[in-house]
Amino acid sequence: MRLLNKITLNLLSISLFIFLFGMVAFYYVLREQVDQNINLELEKREKSINKELDSVHSTTNPTVNLSEKVLITLLDKPRPLVSFSDTLLFNPDENKYAIYRQLGFVKNIGDQSYFIQIFKPLEETDRLIVRIVMMMNLLIIIIIITLLIANRHSSRQDWKVFYDTINKINNYDVNSFEAFTLKRSDIKEFADLNRGLLTMTERIKNDYLNLKEYIENASHEIQTPLAIINSKMELLMQWGDMKEKQYKIVADAYDASNRLSRLNKTLILLAKIENRQFPESSPVNPTIMINHQLESLEDLINSKKIKVTKRFENDITIQINPYLAEILLVNLIKNAIRHNITGGDLIIELTKHSFEIANSGPPLQMDPAMLFERFHKSSSSPESLGLGLAIVQKICTLYGFKVGYNYNNEMHVMHVEFAKG
Amino acid sequence: MKILIVEDEKALSDSMVEYLGEEGHHCEAIYNYFDAIDKIGMYQYDCIVVDINLPDGNGLDLIRFIKKKSILVGIIIISALNSLENRIEGLEIGADNYLTKPFHLAELNAHLKSINRRISYGGSNQIIMNEIKLIPDEHIAFVNDKEITLTKKEYELLLFFISNKNKVITKSGLAEYLWGDYMDLADSYDFIYTHIKNLRRKLLKEGCEDYIKTIYGLGYKFESN
Repeated sequence: MRLLNKITLNLLSISLFIFLFGMVAFYYVLREQVDQNINLELEKREKSINKELDSVHSTTNPTVNLSEKVLITLLDKPRPLVSFSDTLLFNPDENKYAIYRQLGFVKNIGDQSYFIQIFKPLEETDRLIVRIVMMMNLLIIIIIITLLIANRHSSRQDWKVFYDTINKINNYDVNSFEAFTLKRSDIKEFADLNRGLLTMTERIKNDYLNLKEYIENASHEIQTPLAIINSKMELLMQWGDMKEKQYKIVADAYDASNRLSRLNKTLILLAKIENRQFPESSPVNPTIMINHQLESLEDLINSKKIKVTKRFENDITIQINPYLAEILLVNLIKNAIRHNITGGDLIIELTKHSFEIANSGPPLQMDPAMLFERFHKSSSSPESLGLGLAIVQKICTLYGFKVGYNYNNEMHVMHVEFAKG
Repeated sequence: MKILIVEDEKALSDSMVEYLGEEGHHCEAIYNYFDAIDKIGMYQYDCIVVDINLPDGNGLDLIRFIKKKSILVGIIIISALNSLENRIEGLEIGADNYLTKPFHLAELNAHLKSINRRISYGGSNQIIMNEIKLIPDEHIAFVNDKEITLTKKEYELLLFFISNKNKVITKSGLAEYLWGDYMDLADSYDFIYTHIKNLRRKLLKEGCEDYIKTIYGLGYKFESN
């Protein structure tokens, strides 16, 4: 159904219901008011009858029922034959002036013209009108409010799908592995929108996957020519009779092709982590892994005279792919050694819930938010690919770990919080 | 050592043949799966270097074939595929080593030698080079029959040098051999410099000749005649 039709239909059915209900209510309220009014008049009549009866046995003047009073006067001036008007009359019963509606008409009796006036009190009817108007206002207000509420409620039901769609679009991640699904809607526009969005996201996803596959294939294909270049260069440098200048040329070219191959390998790794190509995980004991890594970097640590402090809780295991765990830890540890100062501290803290590694060093020259960006590196080490921390972050994201950086007491602190549960 | 190289990229194959040939190995290059099966069936090799993606087959099948025939031969896989699963699968079916392209010829050479030692002598041999003696099983080194205390990395470094003696060894080749792939190599050259400085100092102290030469800009050379 079209949205417009749906809204119209909703409004129509709601108003129909409310008006039907309102009409019945209005009828009874009106009825009640009229009854009251008539009762009042009847009571007045009763009062005047009583008075009249009383006056028969007394000397007091009989009451003048103004409603029944007919005033006949001689026509003193020319008047219209029939005329309606409002007038104030003194009601001795109530001892006050009251407003009356009067009909005056001219009647010829014999050759004499008389002006005859008859009256009807307006007060009661006035009161009735005021009440009816008030009742009507109240009823209209109630109708409007109910209409608003009912309309809002039914609209919300209709628009629910729409808001759900908006929400899903906002959270859409082309990298996500969850299927992109939208709620079904019986409103044509929303159904069309969702269908369009589904086709679009599917197309985007396919394009994205194709592109990714292409890049992956390209990366793999690059490895073989790189292997050829490197091997040829290695052979070239074995020629004993090269001059220093020639060595320099070979060295530069070799370094560059090496960097390219490392870069390529690392990018493939990043892509694989992103593609979740490390599905198997097992309980890993980080303590053993850290100790092993520290051991293999021992010489380095010693050469920089770094003091290593380990604070490990006992028997910690985390559920993770062992290979990725190693890459994660190596990158963080090596990072902390590289950016350490001679004679600095290296503090590694491991608890059930987190891993923290801190190293001495001068404050960062850059925005800490940029730390985990790809290819963001400090200018001091041109050999760095600037991908180490990007890998760390990718692995953390994969496992729902939170990784953060801060600078405290002249220490750079990297903090990894393991996912709970 | 007789080595069969199964690699369809002729240029890469040629490089390996040349480098390993200079090391005194006898190398045969084969460019496809079926020729490799033929060769393996007919001749005896000490070691086979095999690429996984071959034009007419899979290198892993070749390894399965070798294992099924119970042929005693060292196997090194060289592949552009660098995933843990491939690595594990390759090693599980019986390969001795897995190198990811691009690899360093020096590294391939070092691995071949270590496999050869393991197969030929059950690993219990010694490596003797002039006054230096290494016992790979126990990771200890002697100079003039006097034990020298080396760290693990220094020992590996020395072994690598001796395996590739008289060859120019690049710094990046050393770094990757010592720390593996995926290591961001920033500062690695400094690390290597430190290692080599320490190793050289320890060797010289025991009266060892100074074999380690620096090759300008490129790396090092372990020179012995």
